[in-house]
Amino acid sequence: MTEITGVDPKGNESVGRAVQRKEDYRFLIGRGHYVSDLRLPGTRHVAFLRSPLAHAKINSIDISSALEADFVEAIFTGESDPFKSVSLIARSALPSYIETAQPILAWDKVRFSGEPIAAVVATDRYLAEDGVELIEVEYERLPTNVSAWSTPAEPLHKEALDNVLLERRFQSGDVEDALAGAEVVIERELISNRQGGNPLECRAGVALFEPGDGTLQFWSGTQVPHLVRNALAELMGMSEAKIRVIAPDVGGGFGTKAALYPEDVAICMIARLMPGTPIKWVEDRAEHLLSATHARDHRYLVTAGFSSDGTLLALKADVTCNVGAYSVYPWTAGIEPLMAGGLLSGPYRLENYDCMVRAVATNSSPSGPYRGVARPASVFAMEAIMDEAARRLGMSTIDIRRKNFIGPQDIPYKMPTRLVDDSGHYERCLDKALELFDLDQFLEEQQRRRGTNEPPIGFGVACYNELTGLGRAASAGPRMPFRTGHDACTVKVNPDGTVTVFSGVTSQGQGLETTVAQIVADGIGVDYDDVQVRIGNTDESLWGFGAFSSRQAVIGGGAAQLSALVVRDKVIRLASELLEIDINDLILRDGKIWVAGEVEPRLSLAEIARVAYLESNRLPDGMEPGLEATRFYDPIRGAFAAGVQIGSLEVDVSTGEIRILKWVCVEDAGRVINPAIVDGQIAGAIAQGIGGAMYEHLIYDGDGNLSTGTLMDYLIPTSGEIPEMIIGHLQFPADNPLGVRGVGEGGTLGPNAVIAGAVADALGILVDQLPVTEGAVWEGLQ
Amino acid sequence: MKPAPFDYVVAASPREAVQYLADVEDASAKIIAGGQSLMPLLALRLARPSLLVDINRIPGLETIERISETTIRIGTLVRHRMLCAQTNSPLLHEAARWIGHSAIRTRGTIGGSLAHADPAAELPIVAVATGMVIEVMGPSTQRTVDAQDFFIGTLENSLADDEMIVSVISPLPERWGFAEYTRRHGDFGLVTVAAAEVQGEVKIAVGGVGSKPVRMLESEGLVNDSVTLSGQLIDQAARAAAASVEPNGDFHGSARYRIGLVEELVRRSLRQLGSGQADSEVDWS
Repeated sequence: MTEITGVDPKGNESVGRAVQRKEDYRFLIGRGHYVSDLRLPGTRHVAFLRSPLAHAKINSIDISSALEADFVEAIFTGESDPFKSVSLIARSALPSYIETAQPILAWDKVRFSGEPIAAVVATDRYLAEDGVELIEVEYERLPTNVSAWSTPAEPLHKEALDNVLLERRFQSGDVEDALAGAEVVIERELISNRQGGNPLECRAGVALFEPGDGTLQFWSGTQVPHLVRNALAELMGMSEAKIRVIAPDVGGGFGTKAALYPEDVAICMIARLMPGTPIKWVEDRAEHLLSATHARDHRYLVTAGFSSDGTLLALKADVTCNVGAYSVYPWTAGIEPLMAGGLLSGPYRLENYDCMVRAVATNSSPSGPYRGVARPASVFAMEAIMDEAARRLGMSTIDIRRKNFIGPQDIPYKMPTRLVDDSGHYERCLDKALELFDLDQFLEEQQRRRGTNEPPIGFGVACYNELTGLGRAASAGPRMPFRTGHDACTVKVNPDGTVTVFSGVTSQGQGLETTVAQIVADGIGVDYDDVQVRIGNTDESLWGFGAFSSRQAVIGGGAAQLSALVVRDKVIRLASELLEIDINDLILRDGKIWVAGEVEPRLSLAEIARVAYLESNRLPDGMEPGLEATRFYDPIRGAFAAGVQIGSLEVDVSTGEIRILKWVCVEDAGRVINPAIVDGQIAGAIAQGIGGAMYEHLIYDGDGNLSTGTLMDYLIPTSGEIPEMIIGHLQFPADNPLGVRGVGEGGTLGPNAVIAGAVADALGILVDQLPVTEGAVWEGLQ
Repeated sequence: MKPAPFDYVVAASPREAVQYLADVEDASAKIIAGGQSLMPLLALRLARPSLLVDINRIPGLETIERISETTIRIGTLVRHRMLCAQTNSPLLHEAARWIGHSAIRTRGTIGGSLAHADPAAELPIVAVATGMVIEVMGPSTQRTVDAQDFFIGTLENSLADDEMIVSVISPLPERWGFAEYTRRHGDFGLVTVAAAEVQGEVKIAVGGVGSKPVRMLESEGLVNDSVTLSGQLIDQAARAAAASVEPNGDFHGSARYRIGLVEELVRRSLRQLGSGQADSEVDWS
C-alpha cells in the first residue's frame, strides 16, 4: 500500500476533514441525553446491597425489617426465582477454559467486596439506600485471596480448585535451543497495576416492562446494545422481538461498558416483576470503583535471548492475569491473558516463542475489557526487555528496536502466535517520532545536565502494534459462541433527498455519528450536513456488535460505505432512466446529478428521491420504489496499526517528582476519516495511559477490602498532570473499503513503557512494578 | 452514596446557630458552611447528623478585617478563594492556593476547614504555625482557643457539641515559608510544611505526619537560637524535623518517603522564610 501524502481529501469529500461533529452542539448547550436524564413518570429507583466482605458464605439474608419500612416498595434477593435460576456464564470453546457462573444477586456465597446481594426499590435513591441499611446478612468468613500469584487459600469456584480459569501455551520454534545460543539473556519479573476504565458517566440503566404487549425496553449506557438484547432474551427467556435496548448518549465507556453486568440483568428482571413501572439504577462512583470491571493486574516472568548484534532470538514468558472473582460476561476470563500472550512480541520479528498465560480468579472485582486490553502491560514488559538488552549490549535503545522491527518487506508477517501483521511501518513511525521529538537536542541537554545540580532527564520509547477492526478470522475473544467480525448499516435517502443512516455502531463520546455521516456523505455524494445518523437502538439498526477492539471505523465504517455505494448506484440508475443518459456519463456529487463535462447539474437528489418514493409511475420497469440499502461488512482479518511514542521527563531527586517534558506519538491510522477525532482519540488514550503509568491503582488490602474506594485515593490525572502532546500521522491505507485502521486504543499502549524507560534512562533505576510513583522513584534513589 | 435522613435549618445569627446545636438531644447536630468536607462524609454515610445547621446566610461572617498592625480577624465564612484574593497575609494567600480546585475554594470556608481538623489540610497547619487564635461561641459562652490547643486528633477539635467557630485572629508573620507536596494538582498534601516568624519567633508546623499539625520543636529551637539562617542551619533543622516525625505509610507513600519529604519541605520552607523574599514570590494573579 502506498502512503497517503499531501492534502487529503483532494476534492470536496467530507472524509479527511475535521468537520464539525454532529454531537457537539447538543453537548455544548446541555442537551445531551444520558440514561440518568431519562425521567419516566412513576420511576422507581434501585439501590443494591453490596457485600462488605471479599469472601464469605451467606448463612442468611433477613429482609423483614426492611420490608416493614413504609418507604421500601420491594426487595429482591438471589435466594428466590427468577434470580436464583439465572446466572451469567461466559462461554468459550477453548479446551482449558473452565466455565464458572456469576449469580445475578449472590445468595449462597460472596466472592468479592462489592458484589450485589439484594436490590431495594423505592421512590428515590435516598430512600432505597435507607432500605439497604435495614437488611441483615449473616456471613461466615472464608479465607481471602486477592493476589493471582500467591497460593490460593480457598477456591472461589468449585469447578476450579486452583482458581485457574484458563491456561494456554503459545509455542513456536525452539526457545531453549535459541536461548542457549544467545549472547545476552535477559530475565525480568514485571508487574502491572490494577486499574479501571472510570468513564465520566458511570454505569446506568432504566428498564420498563410494558404489560400491554409484553415488551421490555432497556435504556442502558452500554457499548454493546445488540449483544445485550441477545443475552437478555436468553437469560430472561424472552423473544428478541420483544426486547428493545437503547443506548442513548453515553459518557465514556473504555471497555467497562462492553460487559453485561449482574446489575443490568437484575433491573430488567425487577422491571418484569413490576410491570409498568420504570426501574432505574444509576451507579455512583463508589459502586463503580468497587464493582465495575477492573483490568491490568498482571505479572510477566520473561526470559529473552539476544545475539551480539541485538537480534531478538527467543522469548519465553509466563503471564499471570488476575481476572477477579468471575469470568467477565460475555468476554470470558481469557480476554486479558490471551491478548497478552498473543501480542507480547509486538512489532518485533520473532521465531522462537514459548509463552504460558493463565487467568486466575481472586476475591476482587472481575477483570474485563479496558482500552488497550492487556497490551499496556505487555508492551511495558516487552519494551523493558528491549531497553535492558540494549544496555547490556551497549547499543542505543533506538538501534535495538530498528534491528528487530517487522518491516514492509516482511508483510504479510506471520507472528509466532499466527496473527498476521499487515502493517510493518514501525520504523517509519519511529523515524517520524524521533524527528518530532528532536532526540539530538534532548541528548545534548541530557549531557549538559550531567554533573550539574539540575534535575536529571531521561527519555523513553514505546513501539507497539494495535490489532484493530478484527474480522471473523481474527475475532476478538477466545472462541466464544459468537464472532465479532461484522456489522450492518442501513442507508436511506429520504423523499426530500436528505439521508438517514441506521448504523450498528455505538458511541460513548468518540463521535461515531460524525464519522459515519462523513463516510455516507462521500459514499453517496451528498453534503455532510444532509446526513443524519441514528445509532444505539436495536429496533432501528439491524446489527452491530458495538464498540470494542478499535473496530467501528473499520467494520461499522465499512458497512456504511458499502450501503452508501449501493444506494448511490440506484440513484444513478434511476437518474439515467429519467434523463435517458448512460449511467457512465452521470456523476452524483453534492446531492446533484451532473452529466460529465457539464457546468450545471441536471437533477437534484431530492427530485430523484421524490420519484423513488412518490411517483412510482415514473420508475423504470422492474425497479422497486425507495432508495435504501442494508449491507454487512466483515474485513475477515484485522488491520494492524503501528505506533510509536517517545517521551522525556525530569526527576526532582529530592522528592522523586516526575515532570514530563515532552510527549510525541506517531501512529499509522491508515486513511484518517476525521483528523480532529483521530487526534482526540490518541490524546485521550495517552492521557489514560499516563494515568495508568503514574497514578491509577486499585489496591485491595489483605482482607479484600478496596483501599482505593474513592477518587481521593484512586488518582485519575487531571489536565494539570497531562503534558502537551505532539501527534504525527502516517497514512498507509489498510486493506478495507475505506483504508482505515483503528485508533481508539493504541495511545494507551505506550505510556507505561515510555515512563519506565525514561526513569531508567534518567536515573539508572529499573522499573519492575507499576505505577511509577514519586515514592517509588525516591525509594529507588536511596 | 446518598446521605442518611437529616433535618435542616437555616440560622440567622451565630447565637441562633449554636442554640440549634444545643437543642438537639443526641448532640449529633452539625454546622454546614461550604460543605466541601461534610458533604462527602454525608454521602458516604460516614457522618450521620440528625440536624444540619446552615450558617451560610448569617451576615457579617464573611469578612476579613485588619484589627492591628500585625493581626487580622477572619470571619468563619471567609471562602478559600477570598484568602487567595486578600493581600494582608501572603502566607494565607499562598496556602489557600493549594487547597483543592477552584470549585472547592469557592465554597470551602476557613471555619469549616479548621473545624474539620483534617491533619493534612493547609489551613490548620498555617493556623498552628502562625499561632492563630480561634474565637468560639456557645449558647451562653464566648471563648478563644489557641490553634495549638484546638486540634485534638484526626477530624477532632476541641469544640463542645454546641459551639461554633465565629472568627479567627490571625497574626501576620514577619517572614514565612510554605511547601507542600501533592501527588496531583489539588490533592491533599502527602506532607505540608508552614514556617512562620511571628514577633521574632519562628514556628514550624507539619501536616500529613500525625493526627494533627505537628510542631517541629527541635528545628524551631535551632532556628530561634541562631542569629542567621545559614544553609547549614537549615539543613540541620530539616534533618532534625525528619528525625522527629513518625508518619504512617500508605499506598500514596511509605513512612520512609514521607520522612524524606518532611526533610526536603522543611528545608524549602525555611529557605523561603530565610530569603525574606516570600512576599515578592507570591503570584497575585
